[in-house]
Amino acid sequence: MFPFGRLRTLLKSWFQRAALEAELDAEVRSYFEIMVNRYVGQGLPEQEARRLARLNFSSPDQVKEQVRDARAGAGISSLTRDVAYSLRRLRKAPAFALVTVLTLALGIGANATIFSIVSRFVFRPAPVGDPSRLMALHTTHQAECCNNFSWPLFSDVREQAQSFSGVAAYNELVPASISGQGEPERVWGQAVTANFFDVTQTGITLGRGFRTEEENLPVVILGHALWRQRFGGDLNIAGKAVTLSGRSFTVVGVAPPSFRGVDSILYCQFWVPLGNIDHLLPNTSNRVSYNYHWLAVVGRLKPGVTQAQTTVELEILARRITKAHADVQYDDGFRFERAGSLPPRDKAAVMLFLAALTLVALLVLCIAGANVANMFLAQASGRQREIAVRLALGATRRHLLHQMLTESVLLALGGGLLGVALSLWATRSLAAFRFPAPVPLDLSVNVDGRVLLYTFALSMATGILFGLAPAWTVVRPIIANGLKGEDLLARPGRLWSLRNALVISQVAMSIVLLCATGLFLRSLENASQIDIGFRSRGILIMAVDPRLHGYSPERTTQFMNTLRQRVAALPGVTSATYTDSVPLSGGGRGESFHAESQPMPSRADVTTELYMTGPDYFQTIGTPILAGRDFMNESATGPKVAIVNQAFAERLFKNENPLGQRVTGRGVTYQIVGVAKNIKARFLGEDFMPVLYRSLAQDIAGDPSFTGYRIMVRCERDPGAVGSALRREIHALDPTLAIFDAETIEEHLRDALFLPRLAGTLFGTFGFLGLALAAVGIYGVMNSWVSRRTREIGIRLALGARVTEVQWLIVRQGMLLTGFAVIPGLAAAWAVAKLFTSVLYGVRPHDPPTFALVPLFLAAVAAIACWFPARRAAGTEPLDALRHE
Amino acid sequence: MAKPTELLQGTLDLLILRTLESGPLHGVGISDRVEQVTKGVFVVGPGSLFPALHRLSENGWIKGEWSELENKRRVKTYILTAAGRAQLAEEKRNWKRVFTAMNRVLAEEV
Repeated sequence: MFPFGRLRTLLKSWFQRAALEAELDAEVRSYFEIMVNRYVGQGLPEQEARRLARLNFSSPDQVKEQVRDARAGAGISSLTRDVAYSLRRLRKAPAFALVTVLTLALGIGANATIFSIVSRFVFRPAPVGDPSRLMALHTTHQAECCNNFSWPLFSDVREQAQSFSGVAAYNELVPASISGQGEPERVWGQAVTANFFDVTQTGITLGRGFRTEEENLPVVILGHALWRQRFGGDLNIAGKAVTLSGRSFTVVGVAPPSFRGVDSILYCQFWVPLGNIDHLLPNTSNRVSYNYHWLAVVGRLKPGVTQAQTTVELEILARRITKAHADVQYDDGFRFERAGSLPPRDKAAVMLFLAALTLVALLVLCIAGANVANMFLAQASGRQREIAVRLALGATRRHLLHQMLTESVLLALGGGLLGVALSLWATRSLAAFRFPAPVPLDLSVNVDGRVLLYTFALSMATGILFGLAPAWTVVRPIIANGLKGEDLLARPGRLWSLRNALVISQVAMSIVLLCATGLFLRSLENASQIDIGFRSRGILIMAVDPRLHGYSPERTTQFMNTLRQRVAALPGVTSATYTDSVPLSGGGRGESFHAESQPMPSRADVTTELYMTGPDYFQTIGTPILAGRDFMNESATGPKVAIVNQAFAERLFKNENPLGQRVTGRGVTYQIVGVAKNIKARFLGEDFMPVLYRSLAQDIAGDPSFTGYRIMVRCERDPGAVGSALRREIHALDPTLAIFDAETIEEHLRDALFLPRLAGTLFGTFGFLGLALAAVGIYGVMNSWVSRRTREIGIRLALGARVTEVQWLIVRQGMLLTGFAVIPGLAAAWAVAKLFTSVLYGVRPHDPPTFALVPLFLAAVAAIACWFPARRAAGTEPLDALRHE
Repeated sequence: MAKPTELLQGTLDLLILRTLESGPLHGVGISDRVEQVTKGVFVVGPGSLFPALHRLSENGWIKGEWSELENKRRVKTYILTAAGRAQLAEEKRNWKRVFTAMNRVLAEEV
């Protein structure tokens, strides 16, 4: 418990300082008067009595000082004194203060930025009421995590689980085209059970949540941003109708601004009751099947129920359900975690990436801190007289240490403040990186309260850590040196002075940073030169989703064909086609395929990427067909044909000729008519995956796309003009169609380079920072080395040493320090590089050129940093130097 | 007379509280009483007395009040509070425990 009584006296003593002082004065004085009286009573003259009292009982002032130290709040007043003193000192050395604060701001700003990312993705609770009691549930299959729930499984859990006061389910992503006033737009939302907003305890900003009886009614809750943008923040929106995918929905409410769904990264703009899913999503006919896992589930823990109890209950429940459904060979369990956590599948990778970034940012801060410690030491050399005087006047080492620490902590807090400002700017620039994904993501990063707290703690720690070492040295001057007129802080005979050790560790750390930077820059260079297997420029892409506007599959095909023909005839267009998705979108559709000809038992299934294509697809995207033929306007009802890539042919048919073979995936059989060149299908870093192209006309009915269809236009010049012409053509055919994901292939590929670009930028920045700071560190140390040895240099020159010899002496000293750092630096970099294996493109983590060039590069920078002090030393006038004292 | 003994850390508080148990006293009075009762073994100078008095009153164990002596001199007199009484009892128990333990250790000596 906090001692409140003590706090009260502390506050009282702080606010009534003057009164307390007067009282203390009176009390001590009366004590002395009594003593003096007593001596006078013993027959001493008053003068003598006073002298004796003072002799016996020390001076009244000293007594008062002792009382002040014992009093509560003594710490505070000595702190304010130290702060005031430090501020006064720093005002006298503005350049030192400025450089220190800037240096620390760079280091702390880097950390604040990275921690903003950590805070956003690891620590931010779900935007719901009482997030710590809302659990996201997953199913496990044969102990393998994690999958969504099927409808019957969700019903079982909702009815039987006693640990939860409420269980809600939702389909995570439902596309819809929203029309009405303004241009039609495609938006993403979620289909939720009617109790969703009650279970998540999400307060509705305007209107109300869903009622139980609305499970199948066309009602909708709008996201805050959608409401503001599309409906101008209409306060009377409740009760009005909006059109979603051609169907009228009644708005019942608007979600709060922070609510974009329970998940930490999806960005949803509307919510409809689950009963509307048939209308909004294709292929939901089997949604009551036990095998169709399409629902995300959240449960609100009952008050008082612990997570351990819930785990036990869910285990029992899983066993009961497995027994009850022995017919479907069901072997599922449950797992749960706090809602809003990272998706369990990506968690490990994201955490690793964030840990690496945090480590690197801390490294930058260490280099900055070492610089500051060095500057402190250099500064302290100029303060030796002051410190000696203060020690002589009776200041204790503790007092001095306190005061110097106050100074470094103050500077660090200043650096922290500026660092936060830097990170505000940096987090905003991070928004320029668009993560390639076919679904809407909210990856915005902000500086929040947790970041401020972290930055504050980090600044304090930095100030103390990097202030302590120099302060410790400074308050222990070597008096013997002073008598010889030498530097009070030089420890004679010590090879590893603190300053040298600091510089060596700085250089070693920047070697680690630079190696990482080198690796990621090489990775970025490689990634942008990877053979992706299709054209990387001169293609325009625009997406529509006619299904959302009530088009039948046949009408969709017809629409796309008409559009293609009209667009292909536009001036400046070389060729045009359509497809369901563009490669390198970060996702896509996949299916297992096997060869029909192979005997049953050996039918090895091959996971295959699927693309639906229109005429002229290969010509437009620039993937050559190596054998066989292109699609030739196959009829929708004719025998299904497919073109596969080399990887597919090799995996399924080894050395046989794939042409004419028949392959089957999910019950559909295709005859292979052509073989195309390999492409990168999902991510740049992947190995070539098997790909199967089918005809959109033949497959759109059986397997409609969830993310719409894209028209791809090849145009060599003026994509802007062709783009607006393309829009006009689409709206000429159907003015109600929403156009989305409009981009050029260049933009598309830039997003595909997300990871290498992000890593390259971050590590490039950090590497440059580290290098610059380390160079400044070497320069500073060599510079003060030269200052300290001015006399020695003067004697050398007077005795006939050549200027070049003196210069060489200094450069050699600096290079020696650098050399000492290379081995541990490279060893550490070698170890760290292993962590990056999975995120590098076409570079081995122990890339020889990087590891060979970094030390050389660093040596060159170090040599330049040493050259300036060396030049200064060479300019020393021997006579001046000898007259130094 | 032997030289005054160094006070053990923490015993000063006990000494002052115990001295005030028998009635209110001012600073000099406390010094005198301690010296007198311990037959000069402990001498409490103002340098340690005043900080201790302030510490004790900040803890609420003693209370200082200004009063006038016969010669019209104003002095601050300290009295034991209820909390101080409880604290004294506690410290007495502690001291007895330490004392007994120390004696045992010394008795062990061969």
